[in-house]
Amino acid sequence: MAEAPKPSSSVKLVLLGEAAVGKSSLVLRFVNNDFQENKEPTIGAAFLTQKCNLPTRTIKFEIWDTAGQERFASLAPMYYRNAQAALVVYDITKPTSLVKARHWVAELQRQASPGIVIALVGNKLDLAGESQSTSDEGEGEDGGDARKVSTEEAQAYAEEESLLFFETSAKTGHNVTEVFTAIANAIPETSLKSARGSGAAGTANRAGEEQRVNLSGPRDAGAKDGCAC
Amino acid sequence: MFSNLSNIVQRAQQLIDPTQGLNLSNSDRNPSKASLFQSQFRLPSSQTPLYEINAELTIPPSNSTRGDPDHDRGWHYAGKLHLSEAYMCFSTTPTSFTQSASTSTSSAFTGQTNGSGPSGSGFTFPLCAIRRVERLNSQNFQFALAITTWNGLLADASKPRDGSGSNKNVREQRITIHLAGTRQACERFCDGLKRGLRAGVGNVGKLRKVVAECYSEHLLRTDDKANVSPPDAGLGMAFRYPGDPKKLRDRAKMRLWAEYLRDNGRNMMLIRQPTFHKLIRVGLPNRLRGEIWEVTSGSLYLRLENPTLYTDTLAKYKGQESLAIDEIEKDLNRSLPEYPGFQSEEGIGRLRRVLTAYSWVNADVGYCQAMNIVVAALLIYMSESQAFFLLSALCDRLVPGYYSTTMYGTLLDQKVFESLVEKTMPILWEHLVKSDVQLSVVSLPWFLSLYINSMPLVFAFRVLDVFFVEGPKVLFQVGLAILRINGEELLDAPDDGAFISVLKSYFARLDESAHPKSENPKLRAVTRFQELMVVAFKEFSGVTHSSITELRLKNKDSVLNNIESFAKRTAIRNLGPDSKLLSPEELGSLYDRFYNVLYERQQRDRMIQEELKRQAKTSRLRASEILATTAPNEVEKGRVGLGPSTSLMDYDAFREFLAGMSKWAISDSSANGGEAKYYGAKKVPDTMSPWGNGPEPAEHEFLQRVFNKWDVDGSSALTLQNVVTGIARIKGKKDIMGTITYFFELYDDDNDGKVDREGILRISEALLFLSRRGLEGTLSPGASSIGLNGDISASDSQGSLPPEISTNERFLGSISAFIRRCFEYADPDHPKNQDGQDFGTSTSDEDLMVDPNTFAIGDDEDDEEEEEEEEEDLLALEKSPPGTPTKAKKTANLLSPNEESFDGASTDNESRRRVSKAKAEAANAALDPAHPLHITLPTFRMVVLADEILEQFFESSFPTSLHIIEGLQAPSSSYYGPSLTTFSNLGFSTRSQAQAQSGPMGGGRGLRGVLDNIVTDGMRVATEVRRRMEEAQRELEKNALPSQRTEDDEDDDDDVGVAVGVRKGASTDIERRSVMSTDRDLLDGADAQAGSGAASKGPGHDHNLLEVDTAAGRRRANSASTTGGSAVLEFEG
Ligand SMILES: Nc1nc2c(ncn2[C@@H]2O[C@H](COP(=O)(O)OP(=O)(O)O)[C@@H](O)[C@H]2O)c(=O)[nH]1
Ligand SMILES: [Mg+2]
Repeated sequence: MAEAPKPSSSVKLVLLGEAAVGKSSLVLRFVNNDFQENKEPTIGAAFLTQKCNLPTRTIKFEIWDTAGQERFASLAPMYYRNAQAALVVYDITKPTSLVKARHWVAELQRQASPGIVIALVGNKLDLAGESQSTSDEGEGEDGGDARKVSTEEAQAYAEEESLLFFETSAKTGHNVTEVFTAIANAIPETSLKSARGSGAAGTANRAGEEQRVNLSGPRDAGAKDGCAC
Repeated sequence: MFSNLSNIVQRAQQLIDPTQGLNLSNSDRNPSKASLFQSQFRLPSSQTPLYEINAELTIPPSNSTRGDPDHDRGWHYAGKLHLSEAYMCFSTTPTSFTQSASTSTSSAFTGQTNGSGPSGSGFTFPLCAIRRVERLNSQNFQFALAITTWNGLLADASKPRDGSGSNKNVREQRITIHLAGTRQACERFCDGLKRGLRAGVGNVGKLRKVVAECYSEHLLRTDDKANVSPPDAGLGMAFRYPGDPKKLRDRAKMRLWAEYLRDNGRNMMLIRQPTFHKLIRVGLPNRLRGEIWEVTSGSLYLRLENPTLYTDTLAKYKGQESLAIDEIEKDLNRSLPEYPGFQSEEGIGRLRRVLTAYSWVNADVGYCQAMNIVVAALLIYMSESQAFFLLSALCDRLVPGYYSTTMYGTLLDQKVFESLVEKTMPILWEHLVKSDVQLSVVSLPWFLSLYINSMPLVFAFRVLDVFFVEGPKVLFQVGLAILRINGEELLDAPDDGAFISVLKSYFARLDESAHPKSENPKLRAVTRFQELMVVAFKEFSGVTHSSITELRLKNKDSVLNNIESFAKRTAIRNLGPDSKLLSPEELGSLYDRFYNVLYERQQRDRMIQEELKRQAKTSRLRASEILATTAPNEVEKGRVGLGPSTSLMDYDAFREFLAGMSKWAISDSSANGGEAKYYGAKKVPDTMSPWGNGPEPAEHEFLQRVFNKWDVDGSSALTLQNVVTGIARIKGKKDIMGTITYFFELYDDDNDGKVDREGILRISEALLFLSRRGLEGTLSPGASSIGLNGDISASDSQGSLPPEISTNERFLGSISAFIRRCFEYADPDHPKNQDGQDFGTSTSDEDLMVDPNTFAIGDDEDDEEEEEEEEEDLLALEKSPPGTPTKAKKTANLLSPNEESFDGASTDNESRRRVSKAKAEAANAALDPAHPLHITLPTFRMVVLADEILEQFFESSFPTSLHIIEGLQAPSSSYYGPSLTTFSNLGFSTRSQAQAQSGPMGGGRGLRGVLDNIVTDGMRVATEVRRRMEEAQRELEKNALPSQRTEDDEDDDDDVGVAVGVRKGASTDIERRSVMSTDRDLLDGADAQAGSGAASKGPGHDHNLLEVDTAAGRRRANSASTTGGSAVLEFEG
């Protein structure tokens, strides 16, 4: 991790979306390049970090993965406060999750920092018919096309609201790093706090920071490498 | 159960001695004091402080301390003895809960628990645990009781032992209490105790059952321990308890506890001495942990109240599903997954059952993530049933609001924590602010999961040990200590991430030495966790229950406001496509109005209930003694921010909701006369109006129809979504066709596209109802007056219409024209006409009805085309000659909703005769009930559009009359003064003209005459029509018409109108209230009997009452002679 000269800056990113759309799975895929049942109890929000190397600079994402339960929604302002980026996730097999996503977009546009970069992400692409081939594990999803939200509909909405838009699969890893790279590129240079987090004193504590950090617990997840982007 | 007992006790007190009331008041149930009492002793909410008295507790010397010269004669503690319905409690904390006690003495937050738990030395004995009370022979003026408990005698009910004597190994628990008070006060206390003891006798069985699940009973067994399986002390028994027992010195702790419990009583009968608190601070031994948590948290008393609640609940809801259950299921595999017990089906099963059972008994909370972790932790040390009750003690008392649907408790305590950090560690706070780290993202999980998920389990349990006895302030103290200890490093942490990793590594090393480099081996032995505890409880000893309470109060509003504005944004955004028809401001206002009405009604309900209680008390208490009996802690109930109160609007709330926006929705009787008339007579204070300070809402069939229409799922309650959709349809479209259609559908009961004769009359009534306070909105006076003048002059047989009349007056005319036209163009309801009915049978109107299908579709897209056609229709219609008198007659029906219109000047017989009966009937063939008829939507539209005023009513007046945003300003008499709102004078008062928007002062004598005609003649016709319809109806066996009609007819027959409907609605309330206030005794009795009947069998209850009665008699007899006598009372259960 010692790419000496490249300027590095940290970006606070928050994940929002209905429960079970795959927020935690996306983060896990991005941070650990892994897909598994989430064993980590999330109280409030889980905090993770991951670096993203762009040609000209390094972006360190400080990721807040918010808890799934509906009632935790009222805690969300705590986490999106001062966030520079947000991933609003829905599940392409569940139309109501897009409704919820629209809600979060509206909430962020009104309540979050003005320059916030928002990406709309339709997850579980592997369940859609056309990409059936990619689901190598064949998890017994009826085999048919489970897609209920068309790409066009979501895309049109994203354009209307000037959001980045991706369809991903945390399961196969499809498009996941692309989302984060696109966000990293979309963050305006000016809104980057210079080297937030590369302060002298900070570095000592930050050994092994590119791990899943359970903000409340002593249990570690495995270490991993920097992001591939 | 105990609540029933309490009723019995109270009732008994009244029966025994009427003057008791005076004394009772001394410690009567002031709700707030009662709750202080309950939290001091961790008692169930059924318990209220009945008596208290200064006393000295003497505990005899124990085996272990025998020979110790200091305690050769035992221990003595001065303190207060309290008596509630089913408990006797002693504490050295000088708290007082009498009515006269100051708040500070009631909440004297001293001692370890600062009033939030069993503090100081003392005991909390359920009365059923007391076996015998003797009055001791002692010196003058001394009043001493010797109390013997069931301690050690309850275990193993199957092998009954004959009393304490036979079991030599169990030392009888016998304590002495010297009462310090006037002889009278002492006697009184003893009388109360006696009654409580009698009532408690029946609960010894329960006590036995509850105690059998306590590990202490097994621990202290003296015989054949090996053959008996111990009570369930949690998953730890099978899967090992976390931590190394050697390192935890579990055996030593167990021995200390065994000794303590032997000397001081166990579980229910435990007496707290200073050692008790010390033993807790050093950490509880594994197998006793669950039981001590139960005792200190008070959940043991909840379990005693209803020992089978847990299993009963599971049985009751077996096989049922819920959202909470789905959510629980998702989390079962991620609740302390590292503990072996939760890798097994056994542990997962227990967790599932406890969480599920709790979600059923407390549906408001249901299930909240983090509860899984907390319960999982509890289950390591206690049985399912114990964990179930402890969870309920947590949610209700220890961390209220933490797991509610808005989690306001969690957010509030984060604010409190932040302000404590700011106050105690200003430098760190400044750093946090500067580096933009939000503390609560770090600390929220600490609080929400009670540190269980933050620290290694062994340490988290140590925190819990103290937390259960000392209350929520412990969470704050520990949190502050964590920050203080890590202060240096945290000051170097530049952001969230760094902050989190500092703390994470701290938690991971809690078992290391706090001073690894120290020369002093003792110091080196101190672990970081021990250091944490010391810092928490020494350095932050200033953080007390009262300082927390204060900060909570201070921050509550802003926290709730934040939650509410978030909830509001969310709710409004989720309102669906219809809501887009309204502006964001309108939606915001609707949201506020909706919840305000619900909130205020809830508040009012509560106040009325309290007032009733107060009134009930008044009859037996002096006024001065019942002052200031409000419960401040409950005032907020119902706020959105506090989580689920109701979010459904019933019909009455709906009326109130409308009355806040629309003047037509305000009752005519409400202003000055009304309330005095209806409520004043009952001597109900103003604050008790069921409508609060607002005006009394009107009651009208129209409102009922709107309510039913909005109530799409027929649940007799409206959601915010229902209300918004409903209003959006009326106000949002700004489309006259839509509004007309809406109105029509409101009256098309069976959705067949037809409104019958009755419906037509009702529509007219509604139009009058809606316009009776004047029309609003933009009416173009020029155009309408032309159209109208034509109409009215044609209808006016006298031809004396003044040139200037107000819109409202013209509207009256329009309505009568409306009826006339409706009947004129109505289609007969004949089978042979079925296919051709839409084309009507009226001669001249063939072309009017050219394309009924276009009309029937009635959607926006068709409007343009339609309108063109309609204009032609209108032309055609204007040409058709109006049947003059008919119109006048019909109007009267419209007036029937207003009672006043009938008993006012309408009895002007002369004017009544002005229109001949013959003439009227001739023109009214359409009214003949023998020839049923109906109008269709196109006809209805045509008729509406034929009249400019009606058109404008639908286009603007009606939608505008819903003042969503601004509401009704000054709700003064000018808005709902009775004279304005009725036709009682058969005309319009000057006020009404001032009210009218197009307001030229007009009218005068001539107009009045016209109106007289309209009204009086119309009234007569209406009566006639009704009569004939009823006849026809009778022939048709009554079921030909909607049942609703029958009721309304009764109203009409009784010559009452809307006002009566209102009165009827309100009178049920009044009746209830007055009955309750005047017949308190009866009700109390009924209450008591109903209550006890539910829990215990009827005869048993009677028996209890009898017993108490006898006891009363005996007490009287004895009271003189027992001065210094022997046993006051002896129970051998
Ligand atoms: N097929 C499929 N399942 C997914 C995908 N992402 C997540 N899931 C599953 O969806 C469920 C919820 O995922 P989780 O990450 O916990 O959602 P969260 O509540 O938004 O954090 C889990 O069972 C995941 O295994 C995906 O891309 N494809
Ligand atoms: Mg998640």
